[in-house]
Amino acid sequence: MNPFSGYLTELGHGLVTTVELTVVTTVAALLLGVVVATLRICPVPLLRTVGLVYVEVLQNLPLLALLVLFVFALPQLGITFPLFTSAAIVIAAYEGAYFAEAIRAGINTVGIGQAEAARAIGLTFSQSLRYVILPQAFRAVIQPMGNISIALLMNTSLAAAVGVVELTQTANNVNLVEAQPLLIFTGAGLAYMLLALVIGLVTGRLERRLAIVR
Amino acid sequence: MSILTKRLRPRRTVAIAAASVAVAMAAAGCGGGGSGTPGTPGGAAVPGLGGTGVVEQAVYDAAPVAADADIPAGSTMEKIRQRGKLLVGGSLDAPLLAQQDPVSGKVEGFDASLARLLAKYIIGKPEVETVTIGTQTREALLRAKSVDTVFQTYTITPERATQIAFAGPYLTSGLAVAVKKENTTIHGVQDLAGKKVVVGTNTPAVTALPTVAPGSEQVAFATDPQAVQALLQGRGEAYVQDFTLLASNAKVNPGMKVVGQPFTTEPYGIGLNREDPQFKEFVNNWLTKIQADGTWAKVWQATLGTVVEGGAPTPPAIGSAQGS
Repeated sequence: MNPFSGYLTELGHGLVTTVELTVVTTVAALLLGVVVATLRICPVPLLRTVGLVYVEVLQNLPLLALLVLFVFALPQLGITFPLFTSAAIVIAAYEGAYFAEAIRAGINTVGIGQAEAARAIGLTFSQSLRYVILPQAFRAVIQPMGNISIALLMNTSLAAAVGVVELTQTANNVNLVEAQPLLIFTGAGLAYMLLALVIGLVTGRLERRLAIVR
Repeated sequence: MSILTKRLRPRRTVAIAAASVAVAMAAAGCGGGGSGTPGTPGGAAVPGLGGTGVVEQAVYDAAPVAADADIPAGSTMEKIRQRGKLLVGGSLDAPLLAQQDPVSGKVEGFDASLARLLAKYIIGKPEVETVTIGTQTREALLRAKSVDTVFQTYTITPERATQIAFAGPYLTSGLAVAVKKENTTIHGVQDLAGKKVVVGTNTPAVTALPTVAPGSEQVAFATDPQAVQALLQGRGEAYVQDFTLLASNAKVNPGMKVVGQPFTTEPYGIGLNREDPQFKEFVNNWLTKIQADGTWAKVWQATLGTVVEGGAPTPPAIGSAQGS
């Protein structure tokens, strides 16, 4: 008896939801990461502090705690988002802190002379970031950012705990009927592994094409 | 300070982080139930038909102990007796079934008490170690012999019976519907078609709903307290869960009510390793014994009986469920 046959549609839907959540969240977290990293290096002390506090708070709270707080505590204040949206917002906010730190590490690899040269030719802070520093910074940390994306993919499974029907939740539902946990969760695990491999391959390729050899 | 050479002084980082976490935690605690998991205060009397939900010590004292002849050398029972405690897979967050008092650490409820009585039957004293398990891994843990038994409102199904063995059934319940207090449109499962329904992950509701309520959309939550919270916050119009669990939830949450009677019959069994028919027979004999001498009824009355009207039901016949 094969516990997967007859559930392929369901498992497919779960997988699609996981991929959707991962893609949406990665894009949002990346944008957020750029913003927070910029805050952390900008000339205004107050904004630097804001960036620092953001990163320290988000990195030092467990993601599951954040998810539960967001999904169950906010409605107490009268704010209720749909579950998928809630999960996406929380995971993006959480992983954004990690992306920010990776990007900041990338910025630190850019030679100080580059920034000084950018200022010397009259570029403003935002222009020098956009045209000189960030392009070089990104190239230096492609692999770490790929790793964060893989961690993000794995973290989407926590959304199952707050009602999002993604791959882990679907595996749960199938297991409920079939009572074959080892087989079903191994299968789900393999699906996660394949997705992670795809991310790894893409970042590996980007790394080879874009990395700056110093 | 240059934009590219800003370095953090670690001590300040830690201080800021600690302060910000404290602020976040304080913010989270506002508005009551901010953690999203309301629970019964440990050991507090459950309002309703009376009783604290705790089985009296006298019941344990009077409970039977197996004769030495029933525990052959080399059997699972002998191993448990040698170990001095019974390893039970179960929950800690199910009011009146198995709920841990956070102060004393004791687990109280129908399932928890029966587990202790089985431990007394084997060992001579009610020594139980509860292994908190999820509904996902019960079969795997039983097969790996990580736990001796599972007492967790474990519905007997033919599919599960191909993986593990069930002693019992020891209790019959069924799925029922709960709604918010102010809801006047849903009177039972027949009104759930096309509605958003909160369910617990890995509960029979997940598989039962598509048939009984066509077109209903499920929103699943990992734990029962979360599901209750979700119902109260309007993430679904109804919550479908085991009748006894709903009844105990409704007792401690005035914002919800149970509507209609159970619409399924769920036979609950005691999960055991499948390769050990001797142990299953032993557990079934013990069940027969405590049903006959009235211990079963006393435990039911002290736990589930505090929220369900009418006296203790007749326990189901051993082996009456398909798969037991």
